[in-house]
Amino acid sequence: MDPITNFFASLFEWFGINPFYNKDLGDHLRGYDITCDPNFIGTHWYSLIGCAMIVLSVLCYVLQYHALDRFRYNRCKHWWIFAALLFTLNFIIGFTIPYNSIQSAEYCPQLVLTNTNCLGFGISNAIWSFIIFLLLTSFKYPRYLANNCRYTTCWKP
Amino acid sequence: MARLFIFAIGGTGSRVLKSLTMLLASGIKIKSQREFEIVPIIIDPHKSNEDLKRTERLLGNYQSITSEVGLGNGFFNTKITTLDKLVSSENRISGSFTFNLQQVSNTRFKDYIDFNQMNQSSKALADILFSGKSINKRHEEVDLLDIEMDIGFVGNPNIGSVVLNQFKDSDEFKEVASNFNSEDRVFIISSIFGGTGAAGFPTILKNIRDAMNNKNIDGKGFLQDAKIGAVTVLPYFNIEKDKDSPIQKSDFIGKTKAALYYYKDNVTGNNSVNSLYYIADDYSGKPYKNDPGDGGQKNDAHFVELASALAIIDFLETSDKELECVGGKAVSPIYKEFGIRNETAEIKLSDFEDYTERKVSLRLSQLALFRKFLNEHLSNSLEKEAWSNDKPEINKKFVDDSFYRTNLTEFLISFGEWLKEMSENRRGFSPFNLDSTLDSLIQDRTIKSSFFSSKVDFAMYDDKLSKKSKGKTYSSSQQKLINLFFETTEDILTTKFGLKN
Repeated sequence: MDPITNFFASLFEWFGINPFYNKDLGDHLRGYDITCDPNFIGTHWYSLIGCAMIVLSVLCYVLQYHALDRFRYNRCKHWWIFAALLFTLNFIIGFTIPYNSIQSAEYCPQLVLTNTNCLGFGISNAIWSFIIFLLLTSFKYPRYLANNCRYTTCWKP
Repeated sequence: MARLFIFAIGGTGSRVLKSLTMLLASGIKIKSQREFEIVPIIIDPHKSNEDLKRTERLLGNYQSITSEVGLGNGFFNTKITTLDKLVSSENRISGSFTFNLQQVSNTRFKDYIDFNQMNQSSKALADILFSGKSINKRHEEVDLLDIEMDIGFVGNPNIGSVVLNQFKDSDEFKEVASNFNSEDRVFIISSIFGGTGAAGFPTILKNIRDAMNNKNIDGKGFLQDAKIGAVTVLPYFNIEKDKDSPIQKSDFIGKTKAALYYYKDNVTGNNSVNSLYYIADDYSGKPYKNDPGDGGQKNDAHFVELASALAIIDFLETSDKELECVGGKAVSPIYKEFGIRNETAEIKLSDFEDYTERKVSLRLSQLALFRKFLNEHLSNSLEKEAWSNDKPEINKKFVDDSFYRTNLTEFLISFGEWLKEMSENRRGFSPFNLDSTLDSLIQDRTIKSSFFSSKVDFAMYDDKLSKKSKGKTYSSSQQKLINLFFETTEDILTTKFGLKN
């Protein structure tokens, strides 16, 4: 398995704790596809979803702090609105991808995948996007490069 | 730094000084060879005159603001100081902007000249020179000799010239003389159609030019050849008819003619003044309350006073060469008047001639825009907008501080009142829609707008403030407020309103 997939796998599975979904979904997302090949030759969903999650978090930050960067969107309530949008979007992505695999039966039949597991992965993906957005906006930089939002965080103003 | 000593005489003197203070607060640029520090000295026996009290308060606030933020911040960019601040040695004078006239309070003119101690022939002469009637502060008719001078000279320059002659022996004059340098200048503001100003102008002028003969003062040479400018304000306002009042509009022209006739020999005729500005307005507009002085004399601000204040700026911009003096006489005296482009009852910025418009429009608009933000929007931005949170912070604690709460707020309230009074007066000066939205703040000015340019509102204002504030360093919150708003208002008014810098 490639290191990017390993990296995101450890993130989404919370460094082995994996509180939101079962190991079988983890294997499916690593690329354990319908052929049940132990070399994980299927789509590496962890890498794709993980990269998308990071890109979306950065885009959300850029949108609020640099593209809009307006007087009207610089309060902490606006931060929470953007964070909620990001959370929802990533939850949908995290839920929809494994859910579609289940619906179309495109997974290794040895794996036991349920809708609850899909919900769990959606939550895990959403939480990580929230954390990245929080990290991007909690320190002086790069937030300080903004004009109107350079003091906007989740707690002020 | 060179100094400009301004002698502001009577009610008109105070009101012109107020207009000058507003112009200086707005950051008007004085294009002179050197920087000047302004030392105003208000000469008015009428201590309860509301115009004087308002001007004193205004000057006090201006002084407090500049001592807190320093110069070079755009707004409040010229130092105004009291005479006592120039004195390094024994301080004999008070720290106020007013000249302390002795033996005037609760004193009848008769007692001031020791009428009862005079012999019969002197009494007879005094009776002739000071015949006629006036009123006292209880509004009772009295002989001129019985006039109580703490309400002024009630339009009697013959009394004023006697009382104001004490100027030459005053501590204030001695301090001016001993601190006067060759680069310093003098400016005298007076009206010609009343009592105090008409008498005070030639008296002060004479005492300065005759400094060589005054044994009580130092620095005579510099003072005798001082570069002196003066504005003599001719009749410019109307007053209500009151048959019981000693002040009548019909006397204005007669008094003016008499004074001008006197000036012909003693002021202009002998080249005593380097630069003399005549300012008048024959527009018969809204009459002022007929108040000889007993009612506190609170007159609305008038455009002519602003024009007179511009005379002071013009005087400062006149080169040393043009103001040369030899033996107490101006080598080439200058006489000027003031005009506007359009004859109108309600003057707007576009009615100014180009020079005046360039001089005044942008800066006054900046101060009006600054005032508008502080009045209407500051509380929404505090501790929320980036510019407010940038160090040093402009936060809720800052607005509770006396600098903001007292000095600046009071000053800007006075600025608003001054603009309102001028706009309600006739002839009026109403360049701003003070209660309108930001985009229609300036009369006759439409906003430059396009699909890509943002609307002129407080959001845009906050945005500009935050952009200007980014990465800047300020010595204090006070300095930040003044400097940041000057730069931002200049940007908004030049880019959005098309005003020229």
